[in-house]
Amino acid sequence: MVLERLLSLGKKERDVTEDMRRHIELLCDACKTFKAALENEDRKLMREVIDLERQGDSARRGVISHIYEGAFLPYLRPDLCKFVEVVDEVFDLLKDTATYCLDTDLPEPLRGECVRVALLNFRMSEMLMIAFDAMLKGQDLREKTLAIRIYEKKIDDMKFSIINEAQQIPVSDFWSGKMLSDLISGLTSISNVIEDASDHLQILNLSTR
Amino acid sequence: MWMLLSGLLLGWSLGANHTANVFGTGVATGTVSYRAAILLTAVFVAVGAFLEGPKCMSTVGALSRLTPIDAFYCALAAGIMMSLLTFLSFPGSASQAVVGAVIGAGIFSGTADFSKLYKIVVCWACTPFFAILASYTLYRLLGYLLDRTVTSITQRNLIYSVGTIVTGCYGAYCLGSNNVANVTGVYVGAGMLSPFAASLIGGFSIASGVLTYSKKVMMTIGKGIAPLDPFSALVAVLAGAITIHVFTQVGVPVSSSQAIVGAVVGIGISGDVQTVSLRMLTKIGLGWISAPASAALLAYLFIRFDTLETMITFFRHLSPTFGNAPL
Repeated sequence: MVLERLLSLGKKERDVTEDMRRHIELLCDACKTFKAALENEDRKLMREVIDLERQGDSARRGVISHIYEGAFLPYLRPDLCKFVEVVDEVFDLLKDTATYCLDTDLPEPLRGECVRVALLNFRMSEMLMIAFDAMLKGQDLREKTLAIRIYEKKIDDMKFSIINEAQQIPVSDFWSGKMLSDLISGLTSISNVIEDASDHLQILNLSTR
Repeated sequence: MWMLLSGLLLGWSLGANHTANVFGTGVATGTVSYRAAILLTAVFVAVGAFLEGPKCMSTVGALSRLTPIDAFYCALAAGIMMSLLTFLSFPGSASQAVVGAVIGAGIFSGTADFSKLYKIVVCWACTPFFAILASYTLYRLLGYLLDRTVTSITQRNLIYSVGTIVTGCYGAYCLGSNNVANVTGVYVGAGMLSPFAASLIGGFSIASGVLTYSKKVMMTIGKGIAPLDPFSALVAVLAGAITIHVFTQVGVPVSSSQAIVGAVVGIGISGDVQTVSLRMLTKIGLGWISAPASAALLAYLFIRFDTLETMITFFRHLSPTFGNAPL
């Protein structure tokens, strides 16, 4: 184990960081696809989000298995795994929201705001990618995490206006109302989980110093 | 040669107990496997004992004029007291126990040289403080250099992994070079072994303790230090090793446990002074007195009542043929 670690000169660790990068890239793609699907009412694109979630799952399994094969010091492993799990939670929320979108028609008065939220989610995922790259280079993450927090705050503010707007929309039965409520809740919760992921990046960055 | 047995036992127990000071953090955090850690420790302890062990031999031997049986009793008294203090969770050191035992034997024979003891006691008192200074300086200096040169998480991970192994090997080398005098120094003083032979035998006895019985202590001590982050753990082992190496050059065997504890305190000071525990410092202070004093008393009593001869007489009384076979 010792010799393997010394001679590989961090190959396992590089594999892990490449897999983690791919995982976040997939998240960016998923957020972008979701936004486009919501904007254009494209059901095919919405199904693509569900496919991307599956690819994200496979990337997560790759990262976790590489870590348990001995990449990185055991001291760092729990934080790395936690970060990957949190990013996976974003994928899960995106998939659930995409499924609600497939099952229900988003009322026109809500579409504009929801598309804006989806765009901000996409921007947050891009910022998470930038923060991850900065973490790999050992740069300061404060500005990046601050940007993510600002985006999250914006989405939080928009959430209440969407809910207020939604209250004016008549619903035909309990289930269609519940589906709409879950859709809005899922869409506006994605930012919270991305913010958690950025907090974990900050913890990872600090724990190596 | 059977009189070497007590020294070999002391060496074995020293190896079993002190491996944790060099590779405990590496094993407890999973950076190094236990098997690799004990192999590396055994090799480097033996190399350290062989190359630099003789430097401390004369110090122990010069404290009193010992006969071979006195040397046997001294090593036995030190071994028993070390085991007892370890059992009572007192941070006594083998160096202090051996020096105490030799002085105890010297008091009995009237050959104790207290002028030599002065240098040794000063070194003991300086060990934790030197380790505090070394770890504080290293923590600040290496931290500054790493923050400016190695920022990537993968490179840092590699540096910490390699650093843990390299500092562990260096720590094992220093442990062997300094502590072998505790194991066989008394036999050099008694004229039974040359410094070279004593280093060789002592080195192998410590290595045998490392290889056969170090796992339990390593996991216990290692997990106690492991909550430190990898950089702090690396600095603690490096500072402890440097401290021991410096005192090897001075020619005085010192406590590796106290050096490591001092190094951890130094890291605490560089981060937050609150981590320095007065209780722990008191325990170290008590160890300075209890280990040499108790070993001195025990060695004195062993020699005073010639325990071995008394026991042989007692067993002969029980069975007239006991002890007729040559030992």
